Amino acid sequence: MADRRYETLVLIHPEQGEQGAKEFTNRIRSLIEEQKGTIGQIQEWGLRDLAFLVAKQRRAFYVLFEYRATPAALAEVERNLRLADSVLRFVSVRQAENAPPTPDRTARRPEPEETDTSLEAGDIDALGEEM
Amino acid sequence: MAKERGERRGSSSKGEGRGFRRRGLGRRKVCRFCADKTMQIDYKDTRALGSFLSERGKIMPSRITGNCARHQRRLTVAIKRARTVALLPYSTSYP
Repeated sequence: MADRRYETLVLIHPEQGEQGAKEFTNRIRSLIEEQKGTIGQIQEWGLRDLAFLVAKQRRAFYVLFEYRATPAALAEVERNLRLADSVLRFVSVRQAENAPPTPDRTARRPEPEETDTSLEAGDIDALGEEM
Repeated sequence: MAKERGERRGSSSKGEGRGFRRRGLGRRKVCRFCADKTMQIDYKDTRALGSFLSERGKIMPSRITGNCARHQRRLTVAIKRARTVALLPYSTSYP
């Protein structure tokens, strides 16, 4: 079976702590490799504010996995993510073969405090004037 | 004004077959993603996606943003993906 390019963004429960999140990341990494996948890159975005409460939590550790794997391997990874209690949410997306890898700090902001305001307001004022 | 226009349309609608007239004299909006080919639609890029949300967190209609249909479709998918992983809000509650 042909392998495809995927990426999965995982939200890890903040109670796991930095250490727990790292361990979990390694678990997923070895799981992908077990499934004959090849890791492209793993980005740890660290503890980040959520846009809304998830499982009564305000923040979560975000980890992004980019890898190549077969569809069956992806299913197995997703099954494990669903079973893991420390995973709040995840999303898997198939990437185009020629898409550039995600640059560092796409969604990450230098100051985590800033995240809140920028999410709420947006740059709508500029758009409104055009109406 | 409105009455005038109505009459004109009524009398000339037969043979002309003209489409809708553009209302107002606003600047013609161009799709930002078409204008700048390097701009990628990525669900992880909250900063870029955030500019297509209303203050309430709703997705702005392409009628206002001027996005073309193709990019608007991709944009909505990206915003919805971002919402599932709590990068963007479904709504923002006001006090």
